[in-house]
Amino acid sequence: MKVFRVVAISALIPSTLLGFIWPFLVSSDEAANWASWFFFASTTFTVLLLISLIASDDLGSKNVAFLGILSALVAALRPLGIGAIGIEPMWFALILAARVMGPTFGFLLGALSMLLSALLTGGIGPWLGYQVFAAAVIGFGTALIPLNIRGRAEIFALALYGAIAAEVFGIMMDLQFWPWALGTETELSYLAGAPIAENLNRFFSYHFLSALAWDIPRAIITVILILIAGKPALNALRRARHRAAFVTEVEFKELANVRSNHR
Amino acid sequence: MSTSFHPLTFWSIFTALAVGVVLSDSAISAFLALGGAAWIVYRFRGDGPWRNSFKWSLIAGLYLIAIRALAGIVIGVPRLGDTLFTLPRIQLPSWMPGIRIGGPVTWERLSFSLHEGLIIATVIALFGAANSVTSPRKLLRVMPSRIYQLAVTLTIATSVFPQLISSITRIRQAQYLRSGRRPRVSQVAIPLLEESLGRAVALAESMEAKGFGLSKVQSRYRPITYSSRDLIYIVAGFIFSGAMVAL
Amino acid sequence: MIKFSRVSLIYPHSTTTVIEDLSFEISEGEMVLVMGHTGSGKSSLLRLVNGLVPHHTGGILAGEIIVDGRSTRTSKPGELAGIVGIVGQNPIATFVTDTVEEELAFGLEALNFPNDVMRKRVEEALDQVGLAPLRNRDIATLSGGEQQRLAIAAALVMHPKVLVLDEPTSALDPVASEEILAILHRLVHDLSVTVILAEHRLERVIGYVDRILLIEGDGSSAIGTPSEILKKSDLVPPIVRLTRALDLEEVGTSTRDVRRITEKLRSDLPESERPSHIAGRALVSAKDICLSYGEKEALKEVSIELRASEITALMGRNGAGKSSLIKALVGLMEPKSGYINIDGVNLMQIKQSERSQRIGYIPQEPGDLLYLTSVNDECSRADKDNALPKGATFELLHEMLPSISGNSHPRDLSEGERLTLVLALVLSGAPDILILDEPTRGLDYSAKNRLMALLHNRACEEGTTILIATHDVEIVAEVADRTIFLADGEKVADGSTLDVLLASPAFAPQVAKVMSPRRWLTVSDVLRSQELSE
Repeated sequence: MKVFRVVAISALIPSTLLGFIWPFLVSSDEAANWASWFFFASTTFTVLLLISLIASDDLGSKNVAFLGILSALVAALRPLGIGAIGIEPMWFALILAARVMGPTFGFLLGALSMLLSALLTGGIGPWLGYQVFAAAVIGFGTALIPLNIRGRAEIFALALYGAIAAEVFGIMMDLQFWPWALGTETELSYLAGAPIAENLNRFFSYHFLSALAWDIPRAIITVILILIAGKPALNALRRARHRAAFVTEVEFKELANVRSNHR
Repeated sequence: MSTSFHPLTFWSIFTALAVGVVLSDSAISAFLALGGAAWIVYRFRGDGPWRNSFKWSLIAGLYLIAIRALAGIVIGVPRLGDTLFTLPRIQLPSWMPGIRIGGPVTWERLSFSLHEGLIIATVIALFGAANSVTSPRKLLRVMPSRIYQLAVTLTIATSVFPQLISSITRIRQAQYLRSGRRPRVSQVAIPLLEESLGRAVALAESMEAKGFGLSKVQSRYRPITYSSRDLIYIVAGFIFSGAMVAL
Repeated sequence: MIKFSRVSLIYPHSTTTVIEDLSFEISEGEMVLVMGHTGSGKSSLLRLVNGLVPHHTGGILAGEIIVDGRSTRTSKPGELAGIVGIVGQNPIATFVTDTVEEELAFGLEALNFPNDVMRKRVEEALDQVGLAPLRNRDIATLSGGEQQRLAIAAALVMHPKVLVLDEPTSALDPVASEEILAILHRLVHDLSVTVILAEHRLERVIGYVDRILLIEGDGSSAIGTPSEILKKSDLVPPIVRLTRALDLEEVGTSTRDVRRITEKLRSDLPESERPSHIAGRALVSAKDICLSYGEKEALKEVSIELRASEITALMGRNGAGKSSLIKALVGLMEPKSGYINIDGVNLMQIKQSERSQRIGYIPQEPGDLLYLTSVNDECSRADKDNALPKGATFELLHEMLPSISGNSHPRDLSEGERLTLVLALVLSGAPDILILDEPTRGLDYSAKNRLMALLHNRACEEGTTILIATHDVEIVAEVADRTIFLADGEKVADGSTLDVLLASPAFAPQVAKVMSPRRWLTVSDVLRSQELSE
């Protein structure tokens, strides 16, 4: 069972990624048309399967309660932003929570926060898989930050990660949206069968236009929030993690031992 | 009325319609499907905040068509045909090579963009329609029991969410009254985070005490079942969709 | 039913024992109150009963706890769900779903009960707590008392033999808390359920419990009948303070008992005046204010005056319009008609920054104002905000609460300490009006006494105008000069605390109930009369 899960997860990740990068790989217009609809449908399934496999380990009441409430919190922070959709304080909460609770928790938190947003606003559809996966990747990616750094260094590392994450999310969303927004046959569209360098050039030209509007404000807000509120937020999360005793040490002793050890 | 449908009924109908529209790839079937969706939404839409999804998805679809048309006009690769008008050429800086802006715009070019845009906008609107007529809470109640724990997580989240929103208002007001200024994001976010974490600790404890996670199998209180009406609608949806492809 | 044998407990990363060498037994159908100061380990003790401690929280446990023949060493909390039901301090935080019926079904679903059993149990539980008419309601729309009843029902669906409750009435108004206690009483007497509860508001529960378990912070403990324990405890309800102050032999725990032993006093003692200091000018005057949320009218032509150096209490059931009146007074909501003047200037004409300076507001959740990581940081923030010399706020806090450490995290403080911190932060701005919304929730007697002394001092020494919205009749009886009573958005009483409280049986303090028809509200009122007679 364990082996099956590992194999399944390692098969699902590349097939999900294919959903993002197929425009670089298709060789003809016909294949492109087919691929666009196929991945439109399949990505949601692979992502949901991935989440359920990763969560299929018995999560336990602590993880379920924390995931449920923190994903509500992340979703609740979305409208706290200032006007534009690009400026979302949610990334700040997701990154800090993932940092404290670990990458697997971060993966699920990212995914569930997006799912919840969609559930609440009636935004369920094939496009959802892409957003869910991108947010999950950002939660999981906090594993890149070394565990042992603390204090200022930690805040700066998180802020740097926040900026990168905002950009990565932007790239992933644009990869999804690129073929749909422009279709084929424009100067910035993907060109089936063209060399990857040519398509990358086209993609980043397209991405550059959208990044100005969305990614840069998102990155700035995330970095500022982490710098300002990172310390108290990390502190709150660590204290709660401690209070909830995620790593419970349960011991039963005879009376005499307790007294001699601790009095 | 709408409360008695199985939550997956409309999802299967609209998915079938979306497949039908994509396979038939015709503007007529797209409009037919949209008409059907509009009728179903008008008839059966729910009463939560999700009820306006169809409307929003239509707006999103229109935007998409507009973007496509604009992209087709401004940076489209020329197609042969009747030239409608010609835009002036603009030269881009050298670091964005190979991209031309402007040039002649043909009717074929424009209609190609509009047609592709319409199909995609229709698919988006069909899913928007499914959202409009299905309560997300009921959707959670029919999740397969394999993902029971995930479904519980989302149930917690949907229950807590509105309370957190009112907490935000409450904290904002308290901070505002103290300082007389509009509070900063972190002044609201930190008390909210602390409150949420406190709840999470209490909730975990209460779930543990109720035996959550102990049994590998769970039962369902008042399970939602398919009625014959559900089946009739689903079959009708599939026939409609099949007809679009066949014609 | 429950047997603790030589139980000691230490939490991980800690070197002090929370509970030490505790042994006692509780038999079936008993109602036991766990009593102790804040931080004495009451909550830990309650959670030991179903094994949440140490299985869920971690910790080292010595000794043995047997519940209905099963040891918590070998049984996990969930496995004991059918034996012990536990109701947490803040019910809304413990709910998983968002409708009444689904919440009741949650535990049954998780443990895979068959559908027909679930249906039956849910119906039963709804009836036991009287929630059947609200079965489809959204939980967030329930009142505090209804939520508490739902939490109890959610435990009852498992058919537990023991019900454990952590402060079930702290957040409730007197009427709702009577309802909860009546339900518990019925469970004990009709179904022989064993009930263990912790509660700060002893005056509410003392008449219902069979025995009291007293745990002291130093690890010592005692169990016995209420009169045995209350004779030596320093935590006592007003009724016991009365018998002690009067040097009576017996300690009565119910109004009826104490009425019997004070019969002679009631007829012999002379009248005495409640000391009243002279209230200053009317600083705040609200005239005929109406307020509504959409269709719903929240306030109907309410007029009040708040005077300098005077403490006014604002009372009324949940939803009576207390919060709306406060929102209007602090300027959050503009009245639909009528006006509010401060020093003759219309509140709406005053800028918010100036309003914030003049009106100090303590919200229901004091934590809403705290967002830094230490008491010191919060205090320096307040220094900066109010342009005070460095350290001024901490000094003020230190005066109010000498034991506080500047390095502690604001969230690690007890409820009472946290309230004091927020009071210090707000008072450092030297507001001439202070408005407190439900300040006594979760406070133990010592924290309450501290709060009362502080308010009294502020009003008399500094001439501050104080308004407290509260359910707590005892605190009103002790400190309020005047009481305003709201019902259904209308002002139904406004007068001296003595007159208003004596007029309403449900809101009468314990001493007044005992001493009725004499006009005494507190122990000191009675003592004053006694001094007069000597």
